[in-house]
Amino acid sequence: MPWRLVWRYLAAHPFRSLFTMMSMVAATFLLCLLQALLASLDVAVLNAAKNRLIVQSAVSLFVTLPHSYQGKIEAVDGVEDTCKWTWFGGYYQDPENFFAQFGADPGSLRRMYPEMEIIEGSYEEFERKRTGCVIGDLVAQRFSWEVGQTVPLIGTIYPRVDRKPWEYEICAIYTSNAATLDRNTMFFHHDYLDESIDSGSVETIKGVGVYAAAITPGVEPTRVMADIDALFENGPQVVQTTTEAEFNRQFVSMLGNVPALLSSIGASVLFAILLATLNTMIMAGRERTHHIGILKALGFGDGTVFGLLIAESMLVCALGGALGVFFATGIGKALEPFLISMFPGFAILPETQVFGLALAASVGLLAGILPAWQAMRLRPVDALRAEV
Amino acid sequence: MAENLIEVRGVTRVYRRGGEELVVLDGLDLQMERGSFYALMGPSGSGKTTLLNMIGGLDRPDAGDLLVAGELLNVLSNAELARWRADNVGFVFQGFNLIPVLSAVQNVELPLLLAPLSRKERRERAEYALELVGLADRGDHRPKQLSGGQEQRVAIARAFVTDPTLILADEPTGDLDRASTEQVLELLAELNEKLDKTILMVTHDPHAAESAGYIVHLEKGKLGSIERNTPAPVGAEE
Amino acid sequence: MTGVPLSYNVRSLMVRRTSTLLTVIGIGATVAVLTGILSLRQGFAQLFEASGREDIAVFMRPGATSEGESAFPRDRVDILVKSTPEIDEGPDGRPLASAETFLAVRMRKLDGGETNIPIRGVQPATFVLRGDDLEIEGERPTPGSDEVLVGRALTTRVPGARVGEVIVLNTTPFRVVGILDHGGPFASEIWGDADRMMAALERPVFNRVIARMRPGTDMEALSKRLENDKQVPAIVTTEREYLSGQTAFLSNMLLGLGAILGMVMGVGAVFAGVNTMLASVAARTHEIGVLLSIGFRPLSIFLAFVRESLLLGFLGGVIGVLITIPLDGIRTGTTNFQTFTEIAFAFRVTPGILVTAILFAMLLGLVGGAWPAWRAARMDPTEAIRHV
Repeated sequence: MPWRLVWRYLAAHPFRSLFTMMSMVAATFLLCLLQALLASLDVAVLNAAKNRLIVQSAVSLFVTLPHSYQGKIEAVDGVEDTCKWTWFGGYYQDPENFFAQFGADPGSLRRMYPEMEIIEGSYEEFERKRTGCVIGDLVAQRFSWEVGQTVPLIGTIYPRVDRKPWEYEICAIYTSNAATLDRNTMFFHHDYLDESIDSGSVETIKGVGVYAAAITPGVEPTRVMADIDALFENGPQVVQTTTEAEFNRQFVSMLGNVPALLSSIGASVLFAILLATLNTMIMAGRERTHHIGILKALGFGDGTVFGLLIAESMLVCALGGALGVFFATGIGKALEPFLISMFPGFAILPETQVFGLALAASVGLLAGILPAWQAMRLRPVDALRAEV
Repeated sequence: MAENLIEVRGVTRVYRRGGEELVVLDGLDLQMERGSFYALMGPSGSGKTTLLNMIGGLDRPDAGDLLVAGELLNVLSNAELARWRADNVGFVFQGFNLIPVLSAVQNVELPLLLAPLSRKERRERAEYALELVGLADRGDHRPKQLSGGQEQRVAIARAFVTDPTLILADEPTGDLDRASTEQVLELLAELNEKLDKTILMVTHDPHAAESAGYIVHLEKGKLGSIERNTPAPVGAEE
Repeated sequence: MTGVPLSYNVRSLMVRRTSTLLTVIGIGATVAVLTGILSLRQGFAQLFEASGREDIAVFMRPGATSEGESAFPRDRVDILVKSTPEIDEGPDGRPLASAETFLAVRMRKLDGGETNIPIRGVQPATFVLRGDDLEIEGERPTPGSDEVLVGRALTTRVPGARVGEVIVLNTTPFRVVGILDHGGPFASEIWGDADRMMAALERPVFNRVIARMRPGTDMEALSKRLENDKQVPAIVTTEREYLSGQTAFLSNMLLGLGAILGMVMGVGAVFAGVNTMLASVAARTHEIGVLLSIGFRPLSIFLAFVRESLLLGFLGGVIGVLITIPLDGIRTGTTNFQTFTEIAFAFRVTPGILVTAILFAMLLGLVGGAWPAWRAARMDPTEAIRHV
């Protein structure tokens, strides 16, 4: 394979090679980001813990369950531990500064979610303090909050009667290496919420959003799920117990056609770039006709002639693809803090990088095939007769 | 008694263009011996270039057999034919046909890529070939930076660098001025005499044909005559 | 100044038709993606903003950003309506106001998976308030009965959404008596009697109050006054404002997505355009030499090539538009994450979007063609003419 020829031909049309490469950079960049977005949607589903179940209302995500359910769920054979999760729906100063907050049971939260790793402050302090909270490191970063600080949150679902914001003292900051525990979240004592309702500081009905239940290793989850569902079959609130994976999948499926939309955008990008590259390669192949005649006369076989154009096409695309992946990785990293609130688990992973490079190389291959095949089939005499 | 390097037996080639049939070679029989210099002449349309291309394995006969350098060309596949060309033939064209993006020495080196040689050996042989055609100092020039005569000498170097049995030249002096023509003819004669290459040169220039040992005349796709010629020393005229 | 005739450009594009076609389709794909996103956004905006009424006011609890978060106990609703004289009188001489419940309810989708369907409990006044905006095929639910209306958009999305069939909410079966047509979001909802809904869902609170305001009511002043009300604090906006607030996030996201994709894909398309035009210029070097030497000025040559690339862009725009137009009216769905409910909306291709598309395509052509055109205009005529 005369590689020098490949390089020389690329260098002979510097602008064309450069522009083709740069459009590939743009396309690969986009495709990598789109792929990473789509992949991030499934991260929480794929990595869901096998030993955790979620008990939720069968009617609606917004219907709360009675407190009395907790003891009954814990009594089910195979259930080891339970933790309340109640969506608080507050914001800091302005609705724009929205993030997730949950009322939870500090003890079982710690036991059931070993992926929570305290990096600052002390969890014991949180367990002791009624008005304490733990926050994810991304929340801390976003608002520049520190351990020991008291932060005011305005409750949209639980507004205080005195119209004042809720106040929580940050006792610890956690991080997590698993997509099952979002780093953009704050946890506080569920009891604190309940007491506030009992004392009339908030006028609303007491309830629990969902119960997370840990099951004994080796126990058949479907049996436990069926047992829990059966407990509350006749109300007052019918429940639906699912695995953590299934629970997370609900939120993904809420996106409706958005993933399909993103995929079709990606396909269009790919299609457009394929046409552009094909265009360039057909041009290259056409003006190369005469040279192909020369090479054939010199004794170069059809395979070499075929490989020459393919190599040229793949080289431009792979170079562009590599640059695109490089930019996507860099910019993706920079975007991570912003995107991660909407797409937890967003990251440009090695898979994404391989995906980007593979797509770029495939575009190069596809765009090269037609002109290379034409070149291969040229009869040497005809090729030599072609205009220079 | 020289053996025959080329045997053309009843070769016919017909071009079809828009329903019309044009018989370019019409059952041609011809033998050429190893180590000789042939000039192939004839009016345009007599099939000179077609015959040359066939002997070089670039084109195929519609009928007849072509036995060149011990190989029956008309039964070879495209890939075998390409391999055979690489081993046995060097081409010199009217339009030089150098690859513009490669330097002179790289052009000469190009066919060596098909031989099992190291990078260093290739470079050395290419430089030696350039030296033989008197262009040792032009190795780094691109074809565009050379004169026509120089380009053709580079092309000749490329043709013999692989040490083929046969060198085929199609109007090699057609685009050259007088002085360059003489240089090119001199080179071809030298290749024939000193390196014992069999040379077949298509030309319409009687003066160029004078360099050859045999002058073959084609007429309407058939053999007209073969004259034996005593090559005049190149550049003797004028 | 003598111009180069337009037929020259058309002929030139025809001669290089493979290249022209590939470039045009590439630009077309880029334009189609942009137009697709814009028409999605248009469809979304039309659904919400256009259907929001100026004369209907929405009352919510302070702090709530959407009706799902808002809550009013029954007795407070009466106080609220009585203490707001700005509410217009209805045909019966009583204040024309209606309290509504709202809950996103889990439902199986016809094509598999689950979704959250908004359930709205309404009072009879809602129908008076909305008047002709609502079109009902079948019956209106009898007040106090377990009957519901189903939005037209749901008939193809969830089971049981047909007149005569039954939909079970929590444990109560509701009979479908009519199909609800509305130009806005209500076509994706299920409507029933407010009291029956509250009972079935065990949620004894209203979520919001809607009312027709007297002409000339200063909503801002009213909102300010009610927000500080001791008995029933509330915030008030016009329905239009409320709905556009609900969609701002998704709308901005789509706009941002469109802008980013349009830009990055546009870069790719421009590079493809540059390549095509470079080839076009290179192939006509001789012609350019002739044109220059017979007296065409470099500016004319420049303009001729710019015009050719504009033509290329225009054709691409037309292709893009042709791809987009069939999208008009296609329904798609996603979740409005402000209410966690599924909304169905359609692509809306407007003349404005089409004009934007064509202009964008021509801009791509222009940017891609300017530099090759400049190179053509700068050619040395004597050298160019020698180029065969």
